Amino acid sequence: MTAIGPQAQAQVAVPPRTRPLEGGSRLEFVLMHAAFLAIAAFFLAPFVWLFTAAFDAHAQAYIRWPEQLTLDNFVQIFDRYAFATALQNSVFVAVSTMVLTVCVVSLAGYSLSRIEVRHKAWITYAILLLQTMPLSATMVPIYGLARELGLRNSYLGLILIHSAIELPFLVWLMKGFFDSVPRHLEEAAWLDGRTKFRALFEIVLPVARPGIAVAAGLSFLSAWAEVLMVLILVDQQSMKTIPLAFYETFRTAGGYTEVQYGLVAAMGVLYVLPVMAVFFATRRLMVRGLMASTRGL
Amino acid sequence: MWAFYTSFTNKALVGLDAARPRFVGLDNYQRLFSDPDFATVVFNSIVFVVGSAIVGQFVLGLLLAILLDHAERRRYRFASIAYAAVLLAWVNPTVIAAFLWVAMYDFFHGSLNTGLQALGSAPVDWLGQFPMLAVVVANIWRGTAFTMLIFLGALKTIPTDIYEAARVDGANAWRRFWDHTLPSLRPIAALALLSITMSTFGTFILIQTLTNGGPGIRTETIALYAFHEAFRSYAIGYGSTIAVVMLILNAAFAVLYLRWSRARA
Amino acid sequence: MAKVEYDNVWRQFVGQERAAVAGLTLDIADGEFLVLLGPSGCGKTTALRMLAGLEHPDRGDIRVDGRSVVGLEPKDRDVALVFQSYALYPHMSVRDNIRYPLRVRGLPSADQERRVTRAAELLRIEHLLPRRPGQLSGGEQQRVALARAIVREPRVYLMDEPLSNLDAKLRTHTRTELKALQKQLGVTTIFVTHDQAEAMTMADRIAVLDAGHLQQLGAPDDVYQHPANLFVAQFIGSPPMNVLAAQRDDGVLVVAGGWRMPIPKLRDAGAATLTVGLRPEAIFLANDGYPAEVLVSEPLGSEVIVNVKLGDALVKVRTGPDVRPQAGDRVGLRADPAGVRVFDRDTGVALA
Repeated sequence: MTAIGPQAQAQVAVPPRTRPLEGGSRLEFVLMHAAFLAIAAFFLAPFVWLFTAAFDAHAQAYIRWPEQLTLDNFVQIFDRYAFATALQNSVFVAVSTMVLTVCVVSLAGYSLSRIEVRHKAWITYAILLLQTMPLSATMVPIYGLARELGLRNSYLGLILIHSAIELPFLVWLMKGFFDSVPRHLEEAAWLDGRTKFRALFEIVLPVARPGIAVAAGLSFLSAWAEVLMVLILVDQQSMKTIPLAFYETFRTAGGYTEVQYGLVAAMGVLYVLPVMAVFFATRRLMVRGLMASTRGL
Repeated sequence: MWAFYTSFTNKALVGLDAARPRFVGLDNYQRLFSDPDFATVVFNSIVFVVGSAIVGQFVLGLLLAILLDHAERRRYRFASIAYAAVLLAWVNPTVIAAFLWVAMYDFFHGSLNTGLQALGSAPVDWLGQFPMLAVVVANIWRGTAFTMLIFLGALKTIPTDIYEAARVDGANAWRRFWDHTLPSLRPIAALALLSITMSTFGTFILIQTLTNGGPGIRTETIALYAFHEAFRSYAIGYGSTIAVVMLILNAAFAVLYLRWSRARA
Repeated sequence: MAKVEYDNVWRQFVGQERAAVAGLTLDIADGEFLVLLGPSGCGKTTALRMLAGLEHPDRGDIRVDGRSVVGLEPKDRDVALVFQSYALYPHMSVRDNIRYPLRVRGLPSADQERRVTRAAELLRIEHLLPRRPGQLSGGEQQRVALARAIVREPRVYLMDEPLSNLDAKLRTHTRTELKALQKQLGVTTIFVTHDQAEAMTMADRIAVLDAGHLQQLGAPDDVYQHPANLFVAQFIGSPPMNVLAAQRDDGVLVVAGGWRMPIPKLRDAGAATLTVGLRPEAIFLANDGYPAEVLVSEPLGSEVIVNVKLGDALVKVRTGPDVRPQAGDRVGLRADPAGVRVFDRDTGVALA
C-alpha cells in the first residue's frame, strides 16, 4: 500500500514541542519562589530607594515611604543646580552621537561586508581587539590628545569621543547585519540601473533596519551613560552632562562629604527613565546587543 | 581610533611630562615598578577582579542562570521578575549604580545600616571599614547579568527531552544536574570567565564614586591609580605609563579570549 | 514481562478546553506489541508518558502486573522510554549513553559492560560505541536509543514515534527489524504512532485514539475489516475507505442516488438515511455494474487505483495491474456484499 492516502498521510510528523518539565514537588516550588523573591529584592532594592527618595521632601538614604510627598527635589535640581543644562547637554550629545555613529557605522559595516579586502579577517580581529580596551585605560591619552586638539569643553569633542567608544563593536555588528542581507537584492537593483549608492539607500538599508535600530539604541545608551570621558573632557559648567551633575550633589561641610540624597534621587529618576522605558519596550533585542559588547565601565 | 592609541603610545614611551615637557625615557616605568604603592594597587586590582568577577559574578551568574532555566522549564512565572530585576541593574548607567550604592552604604542613614539597626545591631561603616567588600558587592550587583545571560544561553540549548530521558533512566535531580547540566556548561565557562575578567578589570566609576580609592589606597585599583596620578598630581606622563601597563595587560587577555573563542567557533 | 492496565485514566492540561486523555481503559497482555494510533493531539503520547511517569493522571489508575504505578517515580516503574527525538546525551559517547541507566543504578562494572555489549550486538551498533551522538546518522541514533532502552531489561518498553524522523526507506526497513526484535525479546511493548501503515504492520493489537477517546481496540485485521466507527474506518487504510451517503429502500441500500447494493444485517433497523463505507478493494469494475465516469487512473505497479466520479463524489477503486481505464471512460461499479460497511449518519458509529 504505497499509494498516498489523503487522510492518513496528511498527518505530518509534528516536532516535539517544548514540554514543561513535570514533577516539581511542593518543596521545590516554595524554595524556588523564595529564591526569586530574594533575588528580586536584592537587585531591585536600590531602585526602590531611587523612586521613593526622589519624591521625598526630607529624603533619607534608606528606603522608606516619604513622609511628605513632594516634587521639590525636582524643582531644586533645575533651579539651583542647573539641571536643565545638564539635561540638554546630555540629550544633545547622546542624540548627535547616535546619528553620527549610525551613519559612520552603517557605511563602514556595509563596506566591510561587501568589499573584498585581502586582510579582512585581520581587520575584523583588530576591531574586536579594540573593543576590549577598557575605557579607564584610555582616559589619560584621550585627555592629552583632546587638549592638544582643543577639543575639550566642546560639543564636537564630546560627540567624537562618545562615538568612538562604541564604534568598533557597532561596525562589527553592522557588518554582521549586512552580511545577512543577500547580495542579489542589490544586484537586481544594479541591473535595473541604479547606482551603487542609491541601491544601498533604497534597497539594503530598509532590510537592515533592525540592525540599524540596534546600533542606534546602543550608541544612544552608551553616550547617555558615559561619564568617564565627560569627566575628562569637561570642566565648564555650561558643558556638563547629567552624570557630571550627579557629582555636584556632593557637599562638603566641615571636612565631611555628604550627599544630598533627595537631589541625587531626583536626578536619578530623570536619568534612568529613558533607559528603563527603552528597556521595557525592547527587552530581547537590547539584551542581545549589550551582551555582545564586552566593555568595562 | 588607531590614531588615538598610537599617538598615545608614542607619548608614554617617550615619557612626556605634560606639565613640563621633558624627555625622560623609561624613567616612568622604572618609577612605576619600584613604587611600593603600585604593588598595593596591583594587589587591590587582583582582589577586586577575583572577588567581584570570579567569585561573585561568575558564580552568582551561574547560579542564577541555572535557577532561571529550571524555572522556565517548570513554567514558574515569577522567575521573569527576578530576571528583569537582574537585567535592570545591568542595563542602567554605571553612575546611577554607583550613587544608588552610595546611598545603600551610607553610615548614618543608608538602607543597610538602617536595616541592621532595626534588627538591633550596630551600624557598620561599610565604606570605611570594609571598602573592598563594599565595592565588590556593588560591582556584583551591577554586573552579574552578563554572566547570567551567557550561561542562560548555554542552558537553553539543552532540550527538555534529555532531562526526561535521564529521569526515566533513573537519575535523580542531583544526578541530572551533575551529569547533564554541568557538562554542557563546561565549554562556555572558560570563555565566560575570561570575558568577565576583562570587563571587570577596567571598572572605574563605580569604585571612584564609592570610595575614591580609599580609605587611603585600600580600594585603589589600577584604573583609579592611573586617573589619580594623571589628573590629581598633574603627572600626565606617569599616568600614561600606568595606562600603558593596563592596556598591555588587557590586550594579553583579549588576545587569549579571541583565540579561544575562534577555536571554539 | 508484564501486563499493563489503564483504568479510566483522565488527563487535562491547564488552559485546554478538552481533556487530552479521556476515560482511557485498556488492557495490554504480557508480551504484547500494542500500538497507540491516532492523529496529532489525540492523546496517545500523553497516555504513554503517564505510564512512564512523566505525567500524572488526574483521575484513574495505571497498573503494571496488577500493582498501581501512579505516584511512583519513573525510575521505580521499571519501564524504558524511547523518545521521538531519541534524547541521546550529546556530551557522552554512545557506550556511555547506553551504559547510563546501569551506571545510575550502581550496577557493578562488569555487569554493565556485559549488558552494554549484548545490547550493542543485538542492534548491530558495536562499531559505533566510541563515537558521539552528534556524529551519527538518524538511523544510527535511533538504534542507540533502542539499545539504551534494552540494556535495562525493563518490564515494559515504551516508544514514542521512534520512526518518525527516519526517511521512508529506512522506516519500512526498521519496522520489520523492530517487530522481530520485540518477538525475540518478548517484552510488552507500547508503541505510539500516527502512521497507520506502521500500526498495521507492527501491532499485535491497535488502539485507535481520537481527541482523547479510545475509538477502537483490536487486531489489525479487525480494525481494518470491521471499524467501529467512521473515524477509524477513514483513518486506517490507504487509500482510505470510500464514504458515501445512502438511503435504505425496501431491504436494499441505495447509494449516491442510484447504486443499489444488498444491505447487511443492521443493529439499528430503523434509520432511513445512512452512511456507507466501501474500501477500494471492495468495489469491482464490471460491465453490468452501476455506471460511472473515470477521472484518472493511478497505476502503482502491482495494482491500479481508478478514480471514478459518482454523482458529486469521488470513489477510488482498486483493480489489478492490467486494467487501465482512461479518463473519460465509462465503467460499471459493483460492490462486494461482504465489504459493505454501514454507519449511522449522525454519530458515525458502525451499524454492521
